[in-house]
Amino acid sequence: MTDLSIHTGLTRRRFLQATGAAGALGAAGLSFDAANGLTLQKVHAQPAAGPAGQTVITKSFCAQCPARCGIDVYTTNGRVHAIYGTLDNPLAGGKLCPKGHYGVYLLYDADRIKGPMKRTNPKKGRDEDPKFVPISWDEALQTVADRLNALREKGESHRYATITGRGWGYTDVGLLKQFGQLYGTPNFNLGHSSICSDASETVKHIMDGHHAYSAYDYSNCNYLLVFGAGFLESFRPFTGNMRNWGIMRSKAPKTKVTVVDVHLNTTGSAADRLLLTKPGTDGALALAMAHVILSEGLWDRQFVGDFVPVEQPKDADAPRLPEHKFEPGKEVDPATFKEIWTVGVAEWWNVELKDRTPEWAEKITTVPARDIAAVAREFALTKPAVALFERGASAHTNGVYNGMAIHALNALTGNMFAKGGLRGYQMKTAWAKLPIKAEDFMDDYAKAPERKKPRVDGAKSKRYPLAKNMIQEIAINSLKGEPYKLDTVMFYMTGPIFSAPDCSKWEEALRQIFVIDTSPYPGETNRFADLILPDNTYLERLQIADTYPYEGYPISMIRTPAVKPIFDTKTFGDAVIEIGKRIKGPTSEYYKKIGNTENIVKWMCEGFKDKPGDNGVTDFETFAQKGVWYRKPYAYLQERGVFYEWDGKGYNKVMTPEEVKAKVMPTPTGKFEIKVTELEHHAEFVHERLGIAPERAPFPQWVAPRHGGDGDLHFISPKLAGQAEGRSANLPHVAAMIQPTQGGKRNVFLEMHPEAAGKRGIKDGDRVRIKNKVGKIEAVVRVTHTTRPDTVALPMIHGHWAQGRWAQGAGRLPTGSTNEVTENLSEPLSGLACFHSGLVSVEKV
Amino acid sequence: MAKWGMVIDLEKCVGCQACTIACGMENTRLPGEHWQDVIFFQEGTYPNTELKWFPRPCMHCENPSCVAVCPTRATYKTEEGQVLVDWERCIGCKYCMIACPYGVRFYTEEAPRYGGPDLKAVFPAADAHSWSPPWKAPQEDWKHGVGVQPHDVVSKCTFCYHRVSKAPKGTADLDPSNPVMREYTPACVVACSPGARFFGDLSNPNSEVNKQIANKNGVRLLDHLGNRPQVYYLTGVGGAIPNTHTTKA
Repeated sequence: MTDLSIHTGLTRRRFLQATGAAGALGAAGLSFDAANGLTLQKVHAQPAAGPAGQTVITKSFCAQCPARCGIDVYTTNGRVHAIYGTLDNPLAGGKLCPKGHYGVYLLYDADRIKGPMKRTNPKKGRDEDPKFVPISWDEALQTVADRLNALREKGESHRYATITGRGWGYTDVGLLKQFGQLYGTPNFNLGHSSICSDASETVKHIMDGHHAYSAYDYSNCNYLLVFGAGFLESFRPFTGNMRNWGIMRSKAPKTKVTVVDVHLNTTGSAADRLLLTKPGTDGALALAMAHVILSEGLWDRQFVGDFVPVEQPKDADAPRLPEHKFEPGKEVDPATFKEIWTVGVAEWWNVELKDRTPEWAEKITTVPARDIAAVAREFALTKPAVALFERGASAHTNGVYNGMAIHALNALTGNMFAKGGLRGYQMKTAWAKLPIKAEDFMDDYAKAPERKKPRVDGAKSKRYPLAKNMIQEIAINSLKGEPYKLDTVMFYMTGPIFSAPDCSKWEEALRQIFVIDTSPYPGETNRFADLILPDNTYLERLQIADTYPYEGYPISMIRTPAVKPIFDTKTFGDAVIEIGKRIKGPTSEYYKKIGNTENIVKWMCEGFKDKPGDNGVTDFETFAQKGVWYRKPYAYLQERGVFYEWDGKGYNKVMTPEEVKAKVMPTPTGKFEIKVTELEHHAEFVHERLGIAPERAPFPQWVAPRHGGDGDLHFISPKLAGQAEGRSANLPHVAAMIQPTQGGKRNVFLEMHPEAAGKRGIKDGDRVRIKNKVGKIEAVVRVTHTTRPDTVALPMIHGHWAQGRWAQGAGRLPTGSTNEVTENLSEPLSGLACFHSGLVSVEKV
Repeated sequence: MAKWGMVIDLEKCVGCQACTIACGMENTRLPGEHWQDVIFFQEGTYPNTELKWFPRPCMHCENPSCVAVCPTRATYKTEEGQVLVDWERCIGCKYCMIACPYGVRFYTEEAPRYGGPDLKAVFPAADAHSWSPPWKAPQEDWKHGVGVQPHDVVSKCTFCYHRVSKAPKGTADLDPSNPVMREYTPACVVACSPGARFFGDLSNPNSEVNKQIANKNGVRLLDHLGNRPQVYYLTGVGGAIPNTHTTKA
């Protein structure tokens, strides 16, 4: 044997490892090259290729967040191997955020559930193996139907609930209303929006008439003011935000960006200015900015209006009287201020703003007064501009009032429905209506007055009259039997046992309830489930949906299956229809007529015949080919205080105030309400819940937040850019890229300021206990200047204890959900859970 | 003959890591085997604190240290400028990993650091591949370091050789917004939402990459080392290159 190490630097042992076996040496292609000495020709031989397959691209839309970017799914030889954004989809523009690319792994997740199962271990608990056994779909569906029929026979159908997370529209969560109507339960769709972002919708609803998320015209915007939204990490639509970021930051003039947050994230760092405010005080900043805008005369007179000129003495020699103005500390006569598209500006000044100086706000927020004034001036003087906010500002007991103060900035500066401003709200897609009506199939039981029961979550009750959903109340209400105990619950795309505040309460509640989980993956709900009806993953589904608000014009998309279901799973919507077919009475007839979700999709696409998409989509076939239907433009535009409607060629039709009220700002006054009519109606409720004097209730104002939990540090749980919908803790690819401040690679970290850490004897990398009266979890600390000394930050979604082999990998931290140390405290108007306000103490383990 | 190069505009980069993930999917990478990584670091003191990030593919150097040290000539530079590893010749000695000043090379047998079971063991290969996940990409070309690699070799960014090498001759710009060029464009460039990445022919004076380098003062990482990277960075006012002396291109 030649001494290989002389020529190659290899040890013999290493070389043998590389080649696999000593005997393979000769075959490995050792040869002598006159010029180079001894060389290796081939250590590894590429295995012979299988049959070359055609790569097929199917159109679908992403499921990793609510935005619904169009995706091209690449499949070769029946295997999906790549996902990219669809180029001619207006929302995706050929791009995707990091999450979009994970879909491949989610399809082939090694922990996926392979078919319907039932529990055989009656004991339920975190550490109880459910001892699931596989069953047939027929048995699974019949089990549900039998339970539901039995409840109906006892007159207790209201004790059945469907608790839902991310619905995609007409063929899943969109089916549930009819199901509730026919079957007889008010709990047909207990949504998750109160642990999502309900406060921002409530604010828009009461001020400009749209209970919805807004569409912003970023690419034409020159100033962006972001309060508590991870614009470059999590704010929807993430891909659209980033695409626009590239435009905003390289166009002329470059869009200036100011970010308000409580810790440093990529958004704050990429911005021109970051204001690190105290948790829950964003409203104080916005009020002080409004104070500056009014007192320095920077408001938009064409949108808001102006003081009437003071009548001057006729005698030319008499001294001139001063014109009206907003002077700090002094009231104005509201009669002297004539408004155009707003209601209540002068009254707002008198009851709230006149004393809300930047110096006042500095004391509340710790942000220097000069920075507040500078941002106010920039924001008002740079047009067009957008002020937006999300949970950082609103997931507090004062969240709606914070949001009102922020949203009012858009009106004061005339950026509502303006080019480059808050462009508008989502227009509807031209779907055809189904030819079958559920009302025609309701039996006497369904129509009986006894069916009018309150919802178990308490939304729209006296306690939460304006809330859309109150998922975080379900477990405690059911445990207390107020208004009643639930018997059977089906979960779809949500797991409040992990994701609702004070989530541990759900463990007790789910012990008492027959639980049906529809997730195709293991999880905490699954651990407590009695029956598993596994859904298809999104790459295996046919489905349609409408866009997340983007630029206002309607966009809808379709999922066509890239592959047939790889396991024995069923699309949730089809499972609902199949259960419906097994409900006794006319309900069964209704669902037999509907047939399946594919019929619904095809029916609804008939609407495109009359209203073809700009991309030539006219029916189901062309829709499936293109993946998207859209019709530009957004129909309305406000410019210099005049509202215009698109007439087919341009924004040429001037709208009357009546038309604006009907089509653009459907508030009770038809104006942007700074004095909010809805809150006038609920003034007593506001007084009772927030301690605000009833006459002040209608105005944006400073309300001190109440912080849940107990301890000396604020605790926030932000969302990271890599947080795929629900599953990221179990995706090794996500664990390997978790960044940035959290440091990455396996664990997320608790961000802690050096001063806060030092006081507690905590060092970088220490394992610590985060605790309060609600519970305790453990995590690893990163001592860093990325957070305030009074605030610690731990990203949500990690700490799963039943999600699969990777989430539960040995030594993975944190040990539990951030919600185990989050008190169940809700903003009273919207019902939004107060995730970013809580207090904890942190100690070294 | 093209000389492929990349330009990354750090002012536009938002640190989302879609490049990392798209690359990992396109090239069937193991978790953490980030041929294209984004490195984060924090600077400054609260409240004037900043977070910085730096996207880092292989630099595909004109004068690559890795090629110089490879004992088996497994690592080589193609005529079109890519630095590649011939997995049929690689013996996994890791000399190249030590020689590379940019830390962009990966050894297959590194112990997983992501927590939970080793994906290689969960999706084992029946043949000489180091693993075989069901989402494995169809392309396979071990001579050019493309596909799922065998055990005991070093792997690295190929500038998406399997895509770029199919581009029509004479192509100046691989722009993913052009449907004709999209499928030939490297995955990280296709994925980049803010449009921070440009890819094209450095030998064509009219290419977009050359325009960007000339108009926006393109710089190269650790240029003083003399490796002459074919990846250029635009630092604008928002971006920064870490720990480096830079010279104008």
